[in-house]
Amino acid sequence: MVSVNQPIIEVKDVHYQYPGAEDPVLKGANLTINKGDFLAIIGGNGSGKSTICKTINGLIPHYFSGDYQGEVRVKGKSVKELSVSVLSHLVGYVYQDFENQLMKLTVFEDVAFSPLNFGFPDYKERAMHALELLGITHLKDQTVWELSGGQKHLTALAGALALDPEVLIIDEPVAQLDPQHATEIYDKLKYLNESLGKTIITIEHHTEFIANYCKQVALIEDGQVKWHEDVRTGLLKITERHGAKIYPPQVTQAAMLLNDYRTKDELPITVQEAVTYFKDYYFYPDSNRHKPNLRPTSSAILSVNNLRYEVKTLNKQRKTILDIPEMTLYEGDRVAIVGNNGAGKTTLMKSLAGIIRPQAGEITIGDINVLKTSVEKLSSHISYIYQNPEEMFIQDTIKNDITYFGKVRNLEQTELYEQIAESLNMRHLFPLDGRLLSGGQQRRSSVAIGLAMLPTIMMLDEPTASLDIGHRKQLVDILHSIRDRIKTVVIATHDMQLVAEWATRVIVMEHGKVIFDGTPKLLFDRVEIWKQAGLKLPQIAELSLALNIQSTLSVDEFVACVKEVSVNGFNG
Amino acid sequence: MDLTAKIKNVLNVETIKLELIKTAFGKPDVYLAKIDPRVLIFWYLVISLLPWFTFNNTILITIIIYTAFLAVVSRVSPLILSLLGIGIITELFTILFFSAIFGDGSFEAVMPLLTLSMKIFIMSIASVSVFASMSPEKLSDGLLSIGLPAQFSFSISYAYRMLPILIDEYHQIFQSFRLRGKTPENHGFLKWRMLYYYIKVFVKSFYPLMLNVAKRTRLTVEALEVRGFSYSLHNPEAKKQKLAYLKLRKKDYLFIVSQLAIILLILWFGTQFPS
Repeated sequence: MVSVNQPIIEVKDVHYQYPGAEDPVLKGANLTINKGDFLAIIGGNGSGKSTICKTINGLIPHYFSGDYQGEVRVKGKSVKELSVSVLSHLVGYVYQDFENQLMKLTVFEDVAFSPLNFGFPDYKERAMHALELLGITHLKDQTVWELSGGQKHLTALAGALALDPEVLIIDEPVAQLDPQHATEIYDKLKYLNESLGKTIITIEHHTEFIANYCKQVALIEDGQVKWHEDVRTGLLKITERHGAKIYPPQVTQAAMLLNDYRTKDELPITVQEAVTYFKDYYFYPDSNRHKPNLRPTSSAILSVNNLRYEVKTLNKQRKTILDIPEMTLYEGDRVAIVGNNGAGKTTLMKSLAGIIRPQAGEITIGDINVLKTSVEKLSSHISYIYQNPEEMFIQDTIKNDITYFGKVRNLEQTELYEQIAESLNMRHLFPLDGRLLSGGQQRRSSVAIGLAMLPTIMMLDEPTASLDIGHRKQLVDILHSIRDRIKTVVIATHDMQLVAEWATRVIVMEHGKVIFDGTPKLLFDRVEIWKQAGLKLPQIAELSLALNIQSTLSVDEFVACVKEVSVNGFNG
Repeated sequence: MDLTAKIKNVLNVETIKLELIKTAFGKPDVYLAKIDPRVLIFWYLVISLLPWFTFNNTILITIIIYTAFLAVVSRVSPLILSLLGIGIITELFTILFFSAIFGDGSFEAVMPLLTLSMKIFIMSIASVSVFASMSPEKLSDGLLSIGLPAQFSFSISYAYRMLPILIDEYHQIFQSFRLRGKTPENHGFLKWRMLYYYIKVFVKSFYPLMLNVAKRTRLTVEALEVRGFSYSLHNPEAKKQKLAYLKLRKKDYLFIVSQLAIILLILWFGTQFPS
């Protein structure tokens, strides 16, 4: 339905420097986007991805002053000559922190906010239409606070859609959402793109989502668009630059490692393609599928008994958030707690740290009764790292934040701080205010704050959320390196790749109950469990499942499973 | 359960948030909620200014009884009512205490002070019943329509949107201080050291909150720009569309007439039995 190759956005040699910044962010960026495109913009944190999108919706140069050169055209008109409000009818924008974009109390009021501001007499119909397009009319009268993360994102999207723009820019939809909701968002975007002909631009780190949904990819590096290709060519091109801090989808990586004789264009990028691609391969027989769930012989460190936590809801009913009859954590455990938003992961961790006091039950660490001990006393045994690092920065510099715990206790730990600075490579961050750091630096700092408390158990809430692949890898390394300092580490996460790479034990939660407790391998075999909990497996685990071989946790493991390649049809 | 545990159970973050949500929803089935916001704002101005033109205690007491009745009918949240109650009791106590000390045992000062307190009390209870039954959206539209700047009326509805988020964030920061802090070893007489510790944390937690909010505001202002808020400020059409639903109906006129009658009745009653 859409005529191809009709440019809707042209970015021509744009240079931009934020006011007060030392270096320019964009250094001669060029990008042409055609009507009906579904483009993923990739690149490391700080490469200029969001900045280039802001030149398209006119925030740069109209709202941000600063040094601006070059030209951006939307539908043939120069952005310089259009105001931000006129442009918002052409380009809709959904922020990464979409919560800050919701201005009104109820969903309907919020979606109607923009059309009302522009004085459209039919603003109600426009809002209803946007809600219908996304299938969320049932949420119309709910307050924004009651919504789940995914629903908030859809509301923000509907708010942008209410002006019926031809272009939609979505900044990192997967970063703040669980995989199930992220998939839902992408399904809607796909519908908007294919059925309504909207041009969609997403900023995205997750190549798996790009492979499944997008049509084009552009890599931004160093303030320039390095290349802009169709999705297949683009994803295969990623490896050519190791500095890009982005990896191709796992199935592609596996195929690349295994083959050097087929033409590159045939490499798979989605699981479906990979199943066909690998059908001629022989794999080692499944040796350890029914191995019993290994229990470490080491000693128990934390135990939970008959834990129950309830909260009051709006209509005065009680809702059970947590219901755990029995659970024990052992020394040396690397535990990942997974499950959808609202499954009770954070509540469980906060209860273990003594921040939340469940109504009934017992938690013991050694001989300490957690529910009867103050948070201040517990913190030298168990530390909890918030999902949002900014909420942990209570001092004016990172150094003071890290030393705060020791200082109020008169501990002499200069050596420890030195070690932390060294091993986390963050000495240069010490004199800075935590709020001014980038996402990756903030996350590292929050882990450092936890380490300085010398806890026995450390718990991290969503440590990899909104980190790019480079920073994510850094964090996984840190998690591996703290093993000798801390006896047990517990993580709540949506990141199943992290579970596969790092965890020795997975606890799956749903509606406050533990529905699975065992090794990652065992979990990936139990299709019914991860379907029930709404988990999304890493591509490589999904592939091994589809090929009906033993479940593999990493690309390397998968490659190691390959015995030989049948040679019929191909010359080996 | 001992007393502190009970208090903790009532005064926790979740309860306060729930109360806020309930207030924000308004109470559509309450009589006052069905009245046009402009009429209500006007009524509120009359009922809270009226006491300042009289020293007749009969009138004041009758107005208190009437406004208290309205507060009950509008089902004002028990949390707010009890906070108001605590305020009044401590005030009465202070008045008695100071007049006993400085009045050499005579309570001459009590009556004039009580008159003043009653006037203030009327203002508070009237505002509670009016503003708690109106949804923030209606209130903000009402203010906009009587000519207040759009920035001001928007900030009211936006405050309701942000308040729970701020409470949550404050709570997290407070916990951050506690997670790394240390309670005094020696609790001191009547645990005063503990109290001092908590007060210190309570105050200190505001600083990171302010910085975090300042940072977040940048993004909010940007988003407001994108969503056409600043455009609407100079667009009379936007205001017209927004306020189109505000119309004086039969029940609004009935309200005006009946309130006028009630106020006149109270005044007449006061002059008949002055005190």
